[in-house]
Amino acid sequence: MTIKPPFGRVMRDTHFSFHPSYTPLNHGSFGAYPRLVQEEQDKFTKLAAERPDTFIVYDLPNLIDESREAVAPLLGVPVHEIVFVPNATTGVNTVLRNLKFEQGDVVIHFSTVYGACEKTLSSIAEMMPLQCESIALSYAVEDEDILRSFRERVASVREAGGNIRLAMFDTVLIFPGVRMPWEDLVLACKELGILSLIDGAHGIGHIDLTHLGTVGPDFFVSNCHKWLYTPRGCAVFHVPIRNQHLIRTCLPTSHGYQYIDRPEVLVKSPFVHLFEFVTTIDYTPYLCVPKAIEFRKKICARVAESPGTEVMRGDSGIMNQCCFTNIKLPFTLRAQDKLSVSDTGDSIGPSEVSRLQKWLNLTACKEFDTYLEIAPRAGAMLVRLSGQIYLALENFEWVGCKLKELCDRARTGEFRN
Amino acid sequence: MGSDSEIQNPPGGSTKQMVKFGKSLRKDFLFDDNYLNLNHGSFGTYPRVVQSAMRSFQDKAEARPDRFIRYEYPVLLDESRAAMAKFLNVDVSTVAFVPNATTGVNTVLRNLAFAPKEKILYFATIYGACEKTVEYIVETTPAEAVKIQYTYPVEDDWLISEFERVVKAEEKAGNRVKVAIFDTVVSFPGVRMPFERLTQACKDLGVMSLIDGAHGVGHLELDLGKLDCDFFVSNCHKWLYVPRGCAVFYVPVRNQDLMRSTLPTSHGFTPRPKPGLATIRNPLPPSSKSPYVTNFEFVGTIDNAPYLCIPTALRYRENLGGEAAIIAYSQNLAREGAALVAKSLGTVVMENKTGTLGKCCLSMVKLPLVADAMKTSAKTEDVGGLIVSWFSATMVRDYNTFIGIFFYGSAWWVRLSGQAYLELEDFKWAAETLKKVCERAKKGDFLDPVQAKL
Repeated sequence: MTIKPPFGRVMRDTHFSFHPSYTPLNHGSFGAYPRLVQEEQDKFTKLAAERPDTFIVYDLPNLIDESREAVAPLLGVPVHEIVFVPNATTGVNTVLRNLKFEQGDVVIHFSTVYGACEKTLSSIAEMMPLQCESIALSYAVEDEDILRSFRERVASVREAGGNIRLAMFDTVLIFPGVRMPWEDLVLACKELGILSLIDGAHGIGHIDLTHLGTVGPDFFVSNCHKWLYTPRGCAVFHVPIRNQHLIRTCLPTSHGYQYIDRPEVLVKSPFVHLFEFVTTIDYTPYLCVPKAIEFRKKICARVAESPGTEVMRGDSGIMNQCCFTNIKLPFTLRAQDKLSVSDTGDSIGPSEVSRLQKWLNLTACKEFDTYLEIAPRAGAMLVRLSGQIYLALENFEWVGCKLKELCDRARTGEFRN
Repeated sequence: MGSDSEIQNPPGGSTKQMVKFGKSLRKDFLFDDNYLNLNHGSFGTYPRVVQSAMRSFQDKAEARPDRFIRYEYPVLLDESRAAMAKFLNVDVSTVAFVPNATTGVNTVLRNLAFAPKEKILYFATIYGACEKTVEYIVETTPAEAVKIQYTYPVEDDWLISEFERVVKAEEKAGNRVKVAIFDTVVSFPGVRMPFERLTQACKDLGVMSLIDGAHGVGHLELDLGKLDCDFFVSNCHKWLYVPRGCAVFYVPVRNQDLMRSTLPTSHGFTPRPKPGLATIRNPLPPSSKSPYVTNFEFVGTIDNAPYLCIPTALRYRENLGGEAAIIAYSQNLAREGAALVAKSLGTVVMENKTGTLGKCCLSMVKLPLVADAMKTSAKTEDVGGLIVSWFSATMVRDYNTFIGIFFYGSAWWVRLSGQAYLELEDFKWAAETLKKVCERAKKGDFLDPVQAKL
């Protein structure tokens, strides 16, 4: 691997597999991985096909251990506190579903929580007495306000007699894509005696996490298939040794589960053994971690930078220290469907927002061969763009033009047809 | 049927190309030339043409990730669902996919709300991971478990009557068997269960039937429309030539309300309506499908390409002569192969008096090793596990194959898998190899720690 192409189109054409006419501006949703990593995956797939049992029974555990060793330094944690799960949602479910909630127990999160995680809490609350507290965060909030609202909510919940078991928050929010003051939140949790569960879906490969071990959250999961360039689905799941006894089962329960009264003689620790083989799936994504990290080290010399940051400075006032940029689209979203005197004719009522969003998504896909991650937030339509090494400023200039065209068309009412 | 089985007049019409089952079919698959796969039952395999299909879906996903995953995948998934619905003779509204049978079993058990005195019934031969799942449910919910203990061989009649006896005994004791878990074909030992009769017995006794059909589709004849069980899951990546992991999950409409959440919970979950509850954001395109189908459509970001390979796999199997032909060949080969191996070793095939255990593509042959003798030389109680580990590693390392081995009822049994790409000659080879390995075991090779590794 000696080719070090510059970031942008050359990097894209040399190393990635996007269709030539596609503009990939939404790395944040499903990630992408370079051909070198795909070739590595193919190598493992071939071995598995040539000798299924040999590979799955004998080779897989060692290869997974190699991946664990490769990824641990990126989080600044010991290898024995690292395992893999298919994705962040599974990691979050694993933690939340292992905790036994009792009457009066509360889980705190922010309003910006990922939808599937909030639904997980809702699902759990159907079977167990669990209350959820959501702290409203509106767009363009300052870090200190986040911390303050957090502490205030903890205090008020406790005053009302609630027993806060756990707080769940992100490293980088999904939408809008902004960095959370997760380190301060972890410290606040420790101080307040609350377990911290970090949904770092956008974490590894996106922001620097080498100090995670020092900061010391109670549970952490991060998708490697987003910003670390592995195939889908692969996420790193970190549980410090002090908390490993809380994770009784992997999800789903599989061979690694230990009977409470009949522990088996194990070669590895119970935690590592538990997650080593969790049902028959394709484990090759886990095995690609070392190659992905090697790609980043050798090909992407400037790993810490991202071309997206240039664009972010010219943004609508949001200071991000991450690879996302969030742009407000020129729509006015009304609070109610009925037009009032002060509303402009081209404003959008709540019942039309979803239609507009769907139209924007589909039109961008069909006509401009790109996907735009668009959603309404705090009275505005936002588009979240992802900075990446295979993009350049010209892609953002291009999307700027396309967005303008789309918005102009939408404002004439085209999305209503 | 001899070792060169040509399919004459395959059912459904004689216009199909005559396919030669056996060794010559191996060119369609991806095995190493020197490896003989005698353990199809554990992880399955898939032919090159299915691998190409899988690769093409993966390439499409990489060419335009969002477009493929959000817009194209759901349409392709529905094609797979429709194909499996037809295959199983059920309505497409009842069919979804999960990564594997264990996930299906976990999904059902975690969704059933158990009250005190409600029990999960299962059989002694339950798959290990499923037993651990039951144990976990018992550990964390009011549910209790009741296990029907026995050692094969047993008669079907006995199994059914024992099931009925145990359920009634629980009732008499003031409990209620809420759900019974049983297999179509047990993993270890590899024998067929009278699952049709058990399903009917469940209906008669008001027990929900959860069928772990891990060895199901592509392995034996299945008509779920006729069977009408309560929950069913079957691995497509075992006997249906689909890549790992893909399992078909069947829930009749009457039970779909019970399956509240997938595992993990994801965007398709619909929270119960509550006053003042704000809608939770779903980043995926809105779905017009039923809550059950929407729920299982997207369950965390994984590579869903295996699910999409169903039509290609089914077409390949049609071209081989169709399901009935493949199953007939595989089942016959498993029986003939087992008989050959047992004769060669001077042992027996696991079978009951009515010959129902072997009506599947797996067969069990006893090894000529006497537990007491082995125990003496080993000077350890766990000689069963010791020999199993040594045997497996030795097969892989020294003979370029894998044969499932199991210490059961104080004896070692090997599990053979009948398959379209195998023929009787392969079982002759297996017999010779097993003979050699058993001789080595008797000599004490299994005590050498070096030989326990690869």
